[in-house]
Amino acid sequence: MTTTLAPATGLRARAATGTESARARWGRRFQHGGWFVAPFFVLYGLFVVVPVVRGLYLSLTDANISGDHTGFVGLDNYREAFQDHLVWNSLGHSVQFTLYVVPCIVVVALLMALIAHHITHLKWLWRLCFFAPFLLPSAVVGNLWWWLFQPTNGMVNHVLGIDTPWLTQKSTAMIAVVVATLWWTVGFSFLLYLAALQNIPHHLYEAAELDGAGAFQRMLHITVPNLRTITGLVLALQILASLQVFDQAVVMYQFGPGPEESTRTFVQYTLEQGFTSYRVGYASAISFILFLIIAAVALGRMWLLRLREEDAR
Amino acid sequence: MGLPGLTRRQLLSTVGGLTVAGSLGFAALGTGADALASGASTRVRYWNLFTGGDGANMVAMVDAFRKEHPGIAVKDSTLTWGDPYYTKLAMAAAGNRAPDLGVMHQGRVPGFAPGRLLDPWDMDLLTKYGVREADFNPVLWKRGIVDGKLYALPLDIHVQLSFYRTDVCRKAGLLDADGRLPTANSTDEWFALLKEARKQLKDGQQTLGLHAFDQNFSWWFFVAFYQQLGGGYFSDDRTDVTFDTDKATQVLEFFHQHVADGYTIVGQADGEAFLAGSPFVWEGNWSVPYFSGEKVGYGAQPLPPVFGTPATHAESHSFVLPHQADRGGAANEGAHLLAAYMVKNATAWAGGGHVPAYLPTFEDPAYLKLTPQSEYSRPAMEHPATEPRIWFAGSTGTLAKRIGPVVASSNVGSAKPEAAARRMKSVLEELLAMRNPMDGRTAAQELKGAAA
Repeated sequence: MTTTLAPATGLRARAATGTESARARWGRRFQHGGWFVAPFFVLYGLFVVVPVVRGLYLSLTDANISGDHTGFVGLDNYREAFQDHLVWNSLGHSVQFTLYVVPCIVVVALLMALIAHHITHLKWLWRLCFFAPFLLPSAVVGNLWWWLFQPTNGMVNHVLGIDTPWLTQKSTAMIAVVVATLWWTVGFSFLLYLAALQNIPHHLYEAAELDGAGAFQRMLHITVPNLRTITGLVLALQILASLQVFDQAVVMYQFGPGPEESTRTFVQYTLEQGFTSYRVGYASAISFILFLIIAAVALGRMWLLRLREEDAR
Repeated sequence: MGLPGLTRRQLLSTVGGLTVAGSLGFAALGTGADALASGASTRVRYWNLFTGGDGANMVAMVDAFRKEHPGIAVKDSTLTWGDPYYTKLAMAAAGNRAPDLGVMHQGRVPGFAPGRLLDPWDMDLLTKYGVREADFNPVLWKRGIVDGKLYALPLDIHVQLSFYRTDVCRKAGLLDADGRLPTANSTDEWFALLKEARKQLKDGQQTLGLHAFDQNFSWWFFVAFYQQLGGGYFSDDRTDVTFDTDKATQVLEFFHQHVADGYTIVGQADGEAFLAGSPFVWEGNWSVPYFSGEKVGYGAQPLPPVFGTPATHAESHSFVLPHQADRGGAANEGAHLLAAYMVKNATAWAGGGHVPAYLPTFEDPAYLKLTPQSEYSRPAMEHPATEPRIWFAGSTGTLAKRIGPVVASSNVGSAKPEAAARRMKSVLEELLAMRNPMDGRTAAQELKGAAA
């Protein structure tokens, strides 16, 4: 009695037989969990899988915005993309942004979490201040920082006592976007770090203190190693998000590409191709290039993680 | 099935499903419900892109129309200007969900696939509602015609203006006996004006707001001054780029001099700086309601004819009929009536600073009393400088997105004017060779011989 087609209830069947086929096990699992995850799968299929497959198909056509004129062009769009200097240029800007913003977020979020964790007075106020910007819509953030970076009457220059044209010179344009993004999004990573800090057992610190470890040593040998998992998570999330940077840069540069086209990001270029030039086929192709890059980063991270786990074993 | 727990879930999901379906059903009903509620027999869906002072004006005009024509229920929707608007309009027309009436910048019409995404106007219906070609600015009317059919019924012409603050200019002794600024007919005269005005300013205040860094304004101002020099873009048969890099360099040097000499502060919020005491700003005429609302004494002229021939950048808001497979019937007639009403009641529209396309407005005493409109409207209309008429041109179109940043980079001094002019030419060459995604033809193939 190794195969029962439909065990009445899984638990009893398993108890009776002690073993069961993979199919039966799957059926049993589905009975218990399937209905809970089904809505997710339906939505995921409708709003992720179907559009991705359709996008892939469109990327092989010369479809325009009306869906018309959809001649199959094979890999022509991809061939064109590899020769299109603006594709590489805008991809470079997205990567540049990622390289600037991700380390800043990790460091600042950790510092903020340490402050909020150790502070004793008005704890809630610190947490609120650090997290609040994250709740703002990107359009608000973009406009706000556009004003703050104004050359003569902007607050940034006023406070620093300088007159740097932040938004209009190439050397500072991306930094301005990074600063705005940091202020806006660091709250999320801050929360992750704060939660992780609270999970580090207190007795570790006590033991270290008894052994004569100073504050810096405790930080270096207890806090940082214990935060390794969360740092990996923050890094991964931020890299994936940063490669898709779009709205804050677009708002701060009022839909323009920045000084000497130095802040036009990959997503912005995709949008321009699809929705200004109406080349949906081509826009789909270049968005697939970004999709592959992001997928490669995500897979690379998983691979690294597994290597590390194997090392640890 | 032996799954007692599921019945409740099934019940819940059924109820949920019914709720969703029901709300969708009511939403569908709603398409006719408001028309029925108002006792109207016809419903006209009308999309526009007017916000701010323009938006308030347009809403008031639609309300006035409703009062006069209770049999027509107008369902008007205002969408965000630029890409979002044009994307939505194109997709709605392609998906046969187009509104009965829409507004477009005239420069975008050739790229909007007349005949496929746009339907031509029914001239008999327009005549019936009192719209006659003879009453319109002929340049604007002609630009709305593609393949012999009218696709864009012009509402206005909107231009770039040189706004000046009367208080600062008076103190600087620049105004004439009528309290107006004399026209600068050369670059020397223009910079002399700026120099005098600057003496009245505090440190850190800019003399001229030039939107030096904005891709749209940069391109629009370029179009104006390049035309003052008589420059062109493409050969008549659309096979060659005839862009004159020497003339372009001259224009770009003129722009950059404002920055180099410190008259313009790059990145400044120009309109706000003007209200805060900066004597000059170059802005679209749509800023009139904004500036007037602040009770600042100011005047406005077309952009100064510093290269000899007057010309100021101009675009036109026009009414279009987004493509519907089954266009016709009462809604279509209502759309014609509404558009005819709007273009003929241009005095109300002109309050937003725009110059009416409907010529009889210029005899309306109420219109002639408007200031500063009276100062700029006639000369602006007489010397419009428009973008080349080609599928990738037009307000916030591909051309502006590609070439505007090049002008801006020269303005702010990060590219030499000559290099920028050469770059502009190569962008034009690239775009001319590009196929129109709407029909797969290049400009040379599709617009051979069309008037620029």
